Amino acid sequence: MAKLKLFCVASVLGALVGCGTEPDSRPVTFEVVSLEVLAPSCGQVSCHSTSTWTQGLAFDTLDASRESLRDIANTGVNNNPLLDVIAGRNDYDRMPPDVPMADLDVDLLTRWIAAGRPGL
Amino acid sequence: MRTWMLFVALVLIGVGRRADAYPQWQLSREMTCTGCHVSPDGAGLLTENGTAVASAVAWKDFGAEFAYGKVPTPSWLQLGGDLRGAAGFVDPGYASGNGYPMQAELSARVATHGFSVFANGGFRQPSERAGNLHVLWSREHYLMWEQKPGEGQGLFVRVGRLSPTFGLRLAEHVAYTQDHGGRPLYDEEYAASISFVKHEFEVHGSGFVHDPYGTPNEKGDGGALYAEVRVGTHAAAGLEGKYTKSDEDTRMFGGITGKLYLPGPDVVLLGEAELIQQKLAVGGDKANKIAAYVLGSRPLPHGLMLDVGVGHYTQDTRVKGLYRDCIDVNVHWFADTHFELLWTNRLELLGDGGPNGGYSLAQLHVRL
Repeated sequence: MAKLKLFCVASVLGALVGCGTEPDSRPVTFEVVSLEVLAPSCGQVSCHSTSTWTQGLAFDTLDASRESLRDIANTGVNNNPLLDVIAGRNDYDRMPPDVPMADLDVDLLTRWIAAGRPGL
Repeated sequence: MRTWMLFVALVLIGVGRRADAYPQWQLSREMTCTGCHVSPDGAGLLTENGTAVASAVAWKDFGAEFAYGKVPTPSWLQLGGDLRGAAGFVDPGYASGNGYPMQAELSARVATHGFSVFANGGFRQPSERAGNLHVLWSREHYLMWEQKPGEGQGLFVRVGRLSPTFGLRLAEHVAYTQDHGGRPLYDEEYAASISFVKHEFEVHGSGFVHDPYGTPNEKGDGGALYAEVRVGTHAAAGLEGKYTKSDEDTRMFGGITGKLYLPGPDVVLLGEAELIQQKLAVGGDKANKIAAYVLGSRPLPHGLMLDVGVGHYTQDTRVKGLYRDCIDVNVHWFADTHFELLWTNRLELLGDGGPNGGYSLAQLHVRL
């Protein structure tokens, strides 16, 4: 019985961790990249938030994110300051500084920029 | 020398972070948070029993009262304060040094006949777009009525700017269930909160509206519920729920908590698991998330305490591989009743094969 319970718990956890689709099915919109990716990763209150505007950037609200992205994501995919810093390329120190952004999120932002930054 | 002094000043005059309690001691020392804290949320100023526990767990006991008891206060006035800062190495794919000013706050509570007024005030991180006065703020200020003053049980009613009681309420805000769950750093809002606390169970309900001027982490209005039942004297189980709606999104949190004290090995196990749904106002996209954290904690001789934590966070259940796991190892040293040195370490593993991250930081906490 104990083994059965353990199996059930492990199955549920495994299903939860492994769930999802491939490729990434998230909508490539300004709202999704801002509120679902940039706000939790970069817009923490002591980082790039409307409370601090560290380095003139904030990502915790749509208005602030729009303003900030117009500053740092206003070029194409190549040599884009936002993509350079979150991917740590072209001599930029990777951000966030303590825990890296998932490659899937970097890819989503890349696709949004490649699509012409819809909604910005 | 001037650089060093500047660093110390930055550490002390830094961004405020909440000084939560240690739920590690709830079942091993007391049955409830109010056994040690005057707030039913379990943070901040200590009760008389709380100071006794602080003395008991510290390596050296020079007195746990405010300023070692050298600043006597009348019975109706209680003073406190916290200074925190951290420095060490962080690694988002490459190692670098970093420092984090964390907290510099004073707090005061005036109490009489079951009514009390609590307020804290201090510094927060400067804004590059605001005036100099922006660095001063009060995270919490509220009026409280308690049914049985000084007993730590019964009914508590709070109105003001406060953190709605929700979930496990670990001291370390980086736990996934804190940061991504319903209790992020700076989640204080204007709220009315009712708590009922007994040894056998406790229930907390809060309704809140966001602070339009305080730029808090929580930007929505809504409500939070937390209920916990003690199972015997060494275990507890809890249910939590929170709803918050802003102009930009709606978020719902639901979860469970568990606490187990093993007297033999003197180990406390704490766990929390949450399902989170975020629905965007524009476009209506809906993302479901999972946050879980389990912490094992054991006191060691000479005022030391060892924590080992394991966390999981699924950022979006629609996307295969979009999750991260972490392993935390913390060593606390309660050098005396007012000084705590914490060595905190995290290894974070990304589910999509991205670069692993982590940090190793030393944190100093001075409780005034």
